[in-house]
Amino acid sequence: MRALIMLVLVVVTFVAPAAAFERVGDKKILVFAGRQEVPTIDPSIKYDWSIRMMQQSLYDALVKYVGPSAEIVPWLAEKWDTSADGKTWTFHLVKNAKFHNGDPVTAEAVRWSFARTLKLNQGPSWMLSDFLKEDGITVVDATTIRFTLTQPFGPFLAVMPWWYVMNPKQVMANEQNGDLGQKWLTTNAAGSGPFKIKRWEPGTLYELEAVETYWKGWPSKDHIGGVIYKLVREAAAQRAALIRGEADIVEGLTADDYDQVVKMPGIAVPEFPGMTTFGLKMNTQRGATRDLNMRKAIAYAFDYDAFLKIYNGHAVLEDSPFPKATRGYVAVPAMYRQDLAKAKEFLARSPSPNGGVELEYVYFDGLEEERKMGLVLIDNLAKLNLKVKMTATTWPNMVARASKVETSPDFLAVFTTPTSTDPDAVAYQYHKNSWGKYYGSSFYSNDGVWALIDKARLLTKWTERAPLYAEIQKKIADDAPEIFGMLMNRRWGMRDHVKGFQFCPVRFTGEVDLYPLAIAAK
Amino acid sequence: MKTYFAARLALVGVMLFGLLCITFAITYLVPGDPARLAAGPDATDDMVRTLRAQYGLDRPLAVQFTTYVGGLLHGDLGRSLRSRNDVRDDLVRFFPNTFELVTLSLLLAVVLGVPLGMLAAAHRDTWIDHLARVVSVSGVAVPAFWLGLMLQLLIALDLGWLPLGGRLNLTTPPPAPITHVLLLDALLRGQWATFADAFRHAVLPVVTLCFPALASILRVNRAEMIETLRQDYVVSARAQGISNFRVVTKYALRNAMIPTLTMIGLRYGWMLGGTLLVESVFDWPGIGLYAVNSALSSDFLPVMGVTLLIGVNFMLANLLVDLGYAWLDPRLRRTAS
Repeated sequence: MRALIMLVLVVVTFVAPAAAFERVGDKKILVFAGRQEVPTIDPSIKYDWSIRMMQQSLYDALVKYVGPSAEIVPWLAEKWDTSADGKTWTFHLVKNAKFHNGDPVTAEAVRWSFARTLKLNQGPSWMLSDFLKEDGITVVDATTIRFTLTQPFGPFLAVMPWWYVMNPKQVMANEQNGDLGQKWLTTNAAGSGPFKIKRWEPGTLYELEAVETYWKGWPSKDHIGGVIYKLVREAAAQRAALIRGEADIVEGLTADDYDQVVKMPGIAVPEFPGMTTFGLKMNTQRGATRDLNMRKAIAYAFDYDAFLKIYNGHAVLEDSPFPKATRGYVAVPAMYRQDLAKAKEFLARSPSPNGGVELEYVYFDGLEEERKMGLVLIDNLAKLNLKVKMTATTWPNMVARASKVETSPDFLAVFTTPTSTDPDAVAYQYHKNSWGKYYGSSFYSNDGVWALIDKARLLTKWTERAPLYAEIQKKIADDAPEIFGMLMNRRWGMRDHVKGFQFCPVRFTGEVDLYPLAIAAK
Repeated sequence: MKTYFAARLALVGVMLFGLLCITFAITYLVPGDPARLAAGPDATDDMVRTLRAQYGLDRPLAVQFTTYVGGLLHGDLGRSLRSRNDVRDDLVRFFPNTFELVTLSLLLAVVLGVPLGMLAAAHRDTWIDHLARVVSVSGVAVPAFWLGLMLQLLIALDLGWLPLGGRLNLTTPPPAPITHVLLLDALLRGQWATFADAFRHAVLPVVTLCFPALASILRVNRAEMIETLRQDYVVSARAQGISNFRVVTKYALRNAMIPTLTMIGLRYGWMLGGTLLVESVFDWPGIGLYAVNSALSSDFLPVMGVTLLIGVNFMLANLLVDLGYAWLDPRLRRTAS
């Protein structure tokens, strides 16, 4: 009876009339329902998908990632050149860029912004701190800035889009106790981006207003007049808001929800291959998974198609440690797929040829997909007489356990999104310097691979780097530090009057570039 | 009465310090590295060390505790690693929302629960009593988040009578804060449209949160009334020809209210600390969500701030209940004197 009532309610819900976007005067305001708060928007302090979506809207960088191929296009910099040794990069700024308060965007503002981020040693500073020091940033003239690196760094341009330029005058006018404006920039912006802050209600909603006189202009005459990013934490509530037209874009639906709403009138679900990898990281330095043969036995025992089934087919299997959108990606020949004969062969060579070992699988409590993958693991490894104990835990506990080789579990369920399409962004996850980070929970060790990674990142010619990364991918796959899983497709639920959506794989999970969006409705 | 009040107040102070010590110990002994979490997944060890030093997390635990207590005495609750704001500012932002939700819910529970309990007791085994029993059993048995979702489906989605969640419509201008309690501020500023909008948004979460409290109050009040109505003085009052209405409302209710008052006090504390699910379902920006999000990030200072705030409110509520006993029962006043 209760099921019947629920069915009726769901059906009635589906046919409920849809309202429209919000209007303020003649402006069309897009409503984005997101699950994640925006605790700070300081570009030097932190980034995740919701933070970066706001930062990208409020600030500009020298260059920007655009489109499904993640092309790096000029933005505040109209052109750039690099020295033959790859250590000096000179950027020439556009002449017409202005901050929201009318101040021009100058080379000095760029210098100050980079220096601030390096000095505060938070947020994106790790991307350049090994290669760029404050005194290596030079203002050549009002619109020319030069970066002199301590050593060549191949991915330099690839990380530039995440270094946003702030207005030093505005920030320093709001400095408190020598904090370089940290407190003020938590909820205020000093940028030159296409939007400015209109309303900021932490924990509830964040409203941005389009800057009509944006120096770069707008790609469409129907561009949105603003955005209301509203926190809607429950997937069910997001779905309801989308169906009723109370939200124009939602990002947090379940796989089943997306499949249902895409069939409804007025709703579109754009879908693109993502760059977020999912793998079951194995501890390569402790316990049964320390043995390469055991790891290979496990990798061959796993039913990879289960990954696809869990996401209703909206995913692709990894055939390399690198996502397909990564520059220099190569499909590794004979990548692991379920083959029980091979699995038993490798198990026979391991220190536990008859199995009889219990392994721990740690996953994020509340994430249903990861729980299902654990069940698949239990079922698959039982065929090798290996037991799996599932441990659901919180994110802080996962991070804490992954930080030490002694506590890192046999399997850790991990999603990872690289920060750029440069192969270094993925390869470095297998470097010794990534030990202690959640994606380094394998404590993977291979001197040969580390040497290749170190060498490749210092090279500036792609023709020299590419073969090294091809070799790195094959070697990592051969060492089986994880069950290489899948790349989940990126999906959003949208009202069909939302136009101009541009997918870019380097943007984090729910992140959308708000600048090109338009609303094509009266 | 003054001595009684002072003694109770002193006890509140001691209990608060105890709460502070226990909370500090628990939050700092749980596994996890708050600085690493706050620094982000890609942060280097050097970046984590910088953040740890900035927030004083690299100092010995005893120093951190004394610094925290010293700050508390000056009204400084520290800074959140997650929101990067002063915890005090965050609490000022979020607590009034929870206070508003809990107070309205409790008021509704009392206004409905006490008379319904009284009526059920006075009309035992009639349809009123059966109705009261249904309410009291289902109120305890039905999970709040499920009730919230069902109300959303029925009232907000299907009938469209009330909003799905949030505090205000997206384009409704919020009043400039006076008390930070939205409904009150809208009234004080004379923003009637905002008040109406805020009220409409409050109805479903208030009803959801009210239901379990209503059930408890009703059940306790009914049981106490039944017990009280069996007392000799009630029989005697009736024998003297005093009307049933007067006996129930004036003589029996007053005595039956003491356990009910205890329940109300306890409920207030539980509701303050237990609004998370309702806040989550209705996207109500209160301290429940703030505390849980902070705890999930191992951000200890907000957790401590919320715990202390709830503790203070819980103790104040109990102090008021104690004073209420004295008001209801003159014997307690004499004992206290």
